[in-house]
Amino acid sequence: MERVSARDDAAFEALYDAYHRLVFGIGLRMLGDPALAEDVTQTVFLKLWTAPQAFRGGSFVAWVSRVTRNCALDVLRSRAARPESEIPADLALDGALEDEIFVRLDAQRLRDALSTLPTEQRSLIEQGFFAGVTHTELARRTDTPLGTVKTRIRSGLHRLRLALGEQVSG
Amino acid sequence: MNGDSNREAMLEQVALYALGLLPREEAALVIAFIANDDEAYAEYRDLSSTADALALSADEPVDSARTARMKERLMARVRADAPARGTLATRSIAPARGWLLGAGLLAAALIFSLITVGQNLSLRGDLTTAQRRASTLQSQLAQSERSGARTRNDLTQTLTDLVSPDARRYDVAEGTVIVRSNRVYFALSKLPALPRGHVYQAWTAAKGSSAMQPSLTFTPNPDGVAVVQLPVDADKVGVVAVSVEPDGGSKTPTTTPTFVRPLS
Repeated sequence: MERVSARDDAAFEALYDAYHRLVFGIGLRMLGDPALAEDVTQTVFLKLWTAPQAFRGGSFVAWVSRVTRNCALDVLRSRAARPESEIPADLALDGALEDEIFVRLDAQRLRDALSTLPTEQRSLIEQGFFAGVTHTELARRTDTPLGTVKTRIRSGLHRLRLALGEQVSG
Repeated sequence: MNGDSNREAMLEQVALYALGLLPREEAALVIAFIANDDEAYAEYRDLSSTADALALSADEPVDSARTARMKERLMARVRADAPARGTLATRSIAPARGWLLGAGLLAAALIFSLITVGQNLSLRGDLTTAQRRASTLQSQLAQSERSGARTRNDLTQTLTDLVSPDARRYDVAEGTVIVRSNRVYFALSKLPALPRGHVYQAWTAAKGSSAMQPSLTFTPNPDGVAVVQLPVDADKVGVVAVSVEPDGGSKTPTTTPTFVRPLS
């Protein structure tokens, strides 16, 4: 990213090669439309190019994922009038495991860790992450009491964290 | 709901925030909670990185034609924009916890405003506005701490009440009146600017009565936002109202009320 900040287009191209699948994939999962996912990919990488200082350290994967989710969320917001959820800001947290997890984590390991969750937890977490809806909308869509949604998501995230730890240390 | 279950409810909110499921006003409340509570901070730190990892499940092959097309479009824009190489741009990395606390201040300012203009702090934040709101809040908090009117527990109680699904909400043009248990809050975000030498004053009428009793006075922040808890027992109040009054308040309303809202 330092080279991108220095306006090095070759470094930017390498960044694109490394992460466009992830960015496009998130856009596609959230929007369900390849053309819109392309637009989101374009928007995210142009933001990366024009405002690289927005990345303030920490896990680049986590950061670019949040940027992508926000871009896709903007598209969702423009499509329908409904309560809007808020993607957390790009916090670089002291002592977070994100660096060590992300360095050693890949899509397959993530899927393996997800598969260890009870279906009802995994389903809510995946839908919640990619749908760009609020918890109340998620409860409505899944016909699940709101309190149950909250409990399952919190329990599921804790369980997933443990599973990820085992994946990267195993 | 007792204290422990209140905390559990708030920690569940933290998990929802980490996953990106909260509407912006609730997200602002949770950020403030995180900034003021070490356990919540630790919970958020753990769960947000876990939630972030979920993005990797979307990392799947993209067909080569699409990849090439996207790359061509993008690089054409980039190369047209790329200057001569060699000029390093400056960048700064803010201390993480400091940022969070700053965001907490901002978010808490949002609590006091229960805003409708929440922003993504990372990309779209208006720093000038953010700093102004944070400054306003710092001033409000300093006043509260000096007067002993608001403690950390009070803040947690307020946050819990404002986001609670079992709170009763009454819309008014300027925001919302929120009632939970025996507590009454005004969460107002569209208050007109006050004339010099004037304040807003809350009024309450007991159930079955039309006589307005004077309650506290308050001044919104420069954006026209304020959240206040009325010093009344909600079970005994039938109507609440707000009017503009001279500094120091009045014994009876002297202007047309900004709003009058029956709590039924």
